[in-house]
Amino acid sequence: MTRDEAKRILLLYRSRRDLEDAEIRAAFEEAQSDPELQRWFDQHCAAQRRVRDQFAKVPVPSDLKGAILAGRKIVRPVFWHRPAWLATAASIAVLIGIAALWSRPSPFQRFDLYRSRMVSTVWREYRMDISTNDLSAIRAYLAQRGAPTNYVVPPKLEQLSVTGGGRLKWGNQPVAMVCFDRGDQQMLFLFVVSRDAIKGEPGPTPEVRMTSRLQTASWSDRTNVYVLAGPPEADFVVKYGPGQ
Amino acid sequence: MTGSVDFDNLVDLHYAGLYRFALSLARDENHAADLTQQTFYIWAAKGHQLQDRSKAKSWLYTTLHREFLAGQRRQHRFRHYELTEVSSELPNIDPALVNQLDSQTLLACLAQMDPIFRAPVALFYLEDYAYKEIAEVLEVPLGTVKSRIARGLAQLQALVSKAVPGSPSKGAHA
Repeated sequence: MTRDEAKRILLLYRSRRDLEDAEIRAAFEEAQSDPELQRWFDQHCAAQRRVRDQFAKVPVPSDLKGAILAGRKIVRPVFWHRPAWLATAASIAVLIGIAALWSRPSPFQRFDLYRSRMVSTVWREYRMDISTNDLSAIRAYLAQRGAPTNYVVPPKLEQLSVTGGGRLKWGNQPVAMVCFDRGDQQMLFLFVVSRDAIKGEPGPTPEVRMTSRLQTASWSDRTNVYVLAGPPEADFVVKYGPGQ
Repeated sequence: MTGSVDFDNLVDLHYAGLYRFALSLARDENHAADLTQQTFYIWAAKGHQLQDRSKAKSWLYTTLHREFLAGQRRQHRFRHYELTEVSSELPNIDPALVNQLDSQTLLACLAQMDPIFRAPVALFYLEDYAYKEIAEVLEVPLGTVKSRIARGLAQLQALVSKAVPGSPSKGAHA
């Protein structure tokens, strides 16, 4: 084994646990009999320790754990493959939990989580249920599927070319998604959910905020809550939001 | 309430590591937090299907990685590097320089890496996973994981060499 070959292999060494790998063990033993290689290896290990320490220091948002645990409460346990007594006990536990949570808004009612989930939809492989340039055809489609149709599209946004839409779900609530093409291969996404479904909703004046690398404008009217999402660098909120 | 306690424990044990892994992939704090939440949502809905509870951690990391990939609009084809190809880029960082490294600089360097190397390198540093386990999480062959880590480490250390204050404009290579 040449020195360079040994170095290549020793790059993968982190701790003695890795000596279980025969290749790494051989290179490790090579270093013990080659002072220059051993010097390189010691420096390499010190650098790796520093990098690993810094990885462990990357701060985690203080509210993340709470948000995850809050999200957990919306999921119903699956009982049908478990013993009956366990199902009964779990049912009682769920009822106790529901009673305890009665006075608190469900995670599905939280506007910030709703907005985050809708924007995530854009980042994932979203699917338009209907592809059309006709806004009224989208409304008709959404109406058939119980999604909000009494939404008001801001006049400037309505002037853009619509490309399609879809019915999404937030908890048990249907959400209308309408997709607009700004003309420069940049899409804008309008999400509409009933105002009754959300707590902590924005007011009539758009709230602008970066959410998961997209710019969002959020507002509400008397019946619906709106989230308009688009590219981060764009001034689309000013151009296409309500009141423009 | 055992299920709830289990879930709370699982979150407690892994949410920070998962978030850091997500951040290394997504390079955006909001996106990373969302990926972490989504992973636990999926666990809450499907985790009961996992028979071997000792694999919960791997399941979470695999799921997060899948969710990240699903969110990528464009599918890239990445070149597979053999370990022998790394020879010209063997890192050799000045220990004095690496001592100046902080977590923000490290994240910035990670963000500049080729995407294909980020996940294995992050798992290499974040978790004490065996290479076989990293291969399982990323769902790629063991040899591919090793070559990507070696290549990724070389790239990361070259970036660190450039980024740390007082370092020369180009990283020193052996």
